[in-house]
Amino acid sequence: MATTTGKIKAALVGVTLALGAALPASAQTVEDPGSIDLQTASDLLHLVMNSDRTVYTRMIVNRLQNEEGVIKASEHFMDDKALVLPAQMFRFGSEMVADETDAFSYSLLSLWPINKQNAPTTPMEQEGLEYVAENIGENYYGIEELGGVEYFTAVYADVAVAPACYTCHNDHKDSPRTDFEAGDVMGGVVIRIPLDG
Amino acid sequence: MASYWDKVDARWCTTCHSEHQPDISLPGMVTLQGDYCVACHSTGDQDVRVNRPTHEGLTFDTCASSGCHNFHDNRALYEDFLVKHADQPWLAEAPIHPAAAIAHDHSVPDPAEIEAYLAKIDAPDVYHQDEIETHWAASAHAAADVGCASCHAPKSESEAEIIANWVERPEEAVCASCHRSESQTFAMGRHGMRRHPEIAKPRDTERQLKLLGWKKPSDAVIATLEAYLNDPTPAPKMNTAEARVPLIPSAHGRELTCNTCHAPHEQDTSYAAVDACLTCHGDDHSRAYRDSPHFQLWQAERTGDLPPGSGVTCATCHMPQEEKRGKVTTNHNQNDTLRPNEKMIRPVCMNCHGLPFAIDALADPALVAANFSGEPSRSVDSIDWAVSRVTGPAEGAKP
Repeated sequence: MATTTGKIKAALVGVTLALGAALPASAQTVEDPGSIDLQTASDLLHLVMNSDRTVYTRMIVNRLQNEEGVIKASEHFMDDKALVLPAQMFRFGSEMVADETDAFSYSLLSLWPINKQNAPTTPMEQEGLEYVAENIGENYYGIEELGGVEYFTAVYADVAVAPACYTCHNDHKDSPRTDFEAGDVMGGVVIRIPLDG
Repeated sequence: MASYWDKVDARWCTTCHSEHQPDISLPGMVTLQGDYCVACHSTGDQDVRVNRPTHEGLTFDTCASSGCHNFHDNRALYEDFLVKHADQPWLAEAPIHPAAAIAHDHSVPDPAEIEAYLAKIDAPDVYHQDEIETHWAASAHAAADVGCASCHAPKSESEAEIIANWVERPEEAVCASCHRSESQTFAMGRHGMRRHPEIAKPRDTERQLKLLGWKKPSDAVIATLEAYLNDPTPAPKMNTAEARVPLIPSAHGRELTCNTCHAPHEQDTSYAAVDACLTCHGDDHSRAYRDSPHFQLWQAERTGDLPPGSGVTCATCHMPQEEKRGKVTTNHNQNDTLRPNEKMIRPVCMNCHGLPFAIDALADPALVAANFSGEPSRSVDSIDWAVSRVTGPAEGAKP
């Protein structure tokens, strides 16, 4: 379902993200930071997010819980004195980013969310999640208007990278889908950048 | 499909809590219509009835019933927690508050130690008072080597310095210099809210007047308002005259400081834990306390018939103590767990009571008013519903 909007490159609409713009002030400034198109900026942000998320899932949660059995991961990590779930780890990071800047925001959504708050809430989120689930290896890009503000919105597939992902989702009583397997697309990371920022 | 923001923009406190609207303010200072939960949770993915047939037919005013949901920390009593504690008896075998047990378990000082302490009192002669010094000598303050000058003439060492710097009535800041946690939590509650560290600075006067519809306010108006808003004088202390809850008539006109509840030279936490509260508060729940089973337990603890931590005072529930690494602190924010009252279940009630009983008891306003003399007259279904989701037939996962 490759739509026109799905293939829009933000550079084509003449919008660019100046590095450092609207981000917290840093001690040093680079004289000529240049600028990159929004899609590239978004892709790079996602690369960092996805790498950290995969490392946490594989090397912390899957290793310690599923392979070595020394500690559990639990959504009630405080009460259960357990590791935070990979999805919670990701969400806490995004909340901290939201506290720091309006220059971009991100979230982890799914068409089959255990926590119903993580279901898509805009038509573009729905379309993007369906697109990345059906077109393996592709990302989704578009422009949407929310509350009078235009956003560049990108959706990236979130893939089951370890048994910890699909065993938990398949066994959870609130999970609307219970047949996930290794490598399946389980949801998507949505990155949003306001165009007037 | 619309963003939740379009329905209730919960990114802003003022969406639900509009300031200074007493005529339309609901409990919890909510100024939205009472069915605000329904705005998001009755359709689509957020429809609570989709996975929970138990919620069919529930009316909007039941969402926040005790043991169920509250907006700000709606995970305080989450489903797995309800299931985990579903089978608890109404009362634990050994109903003792563990932190209070540590705090209340202190030995009586040796008379010789008291004599030795009194012999080296560092107050100027003119301020010596036997009664005060005797009270003081038996206190934990004395045991911690806190002398008269420590509070009345801080940082003064020689007798001449102490006399020169002596303050007859030290301000709260002196207490706070040691009792940091108590001071910080006091400022979070109604009693100490005038010193809340996060009271917002006044917003831009001219801009605010324009937003209110006054297009061209004169410079004099702006200057007068700014002089008032930016007055550096500390806000007056909270006073019982400003209370929004029933007080007894003789309590009116009292300021709320550390000394209001803690007589400065005595270390009588029993007074602070019960009598100080009942000196002012005159609502049904407060007036019923001395006839309650909780009060009887407190009396039995004080006479030594029950072990430390057995009694239940006003402070046990409204200023819960917490132990961390052997150190006990008392939460001086009386409002921390007050409303909605199920916030009290975990830090307070469940030290002694089982979860099902605690939920039912707090959901019964008449029982609360009677200060828990009696049994709950209602039964909240939340635990049964949560258990049914675990033990019942698997809900159809979408193919």
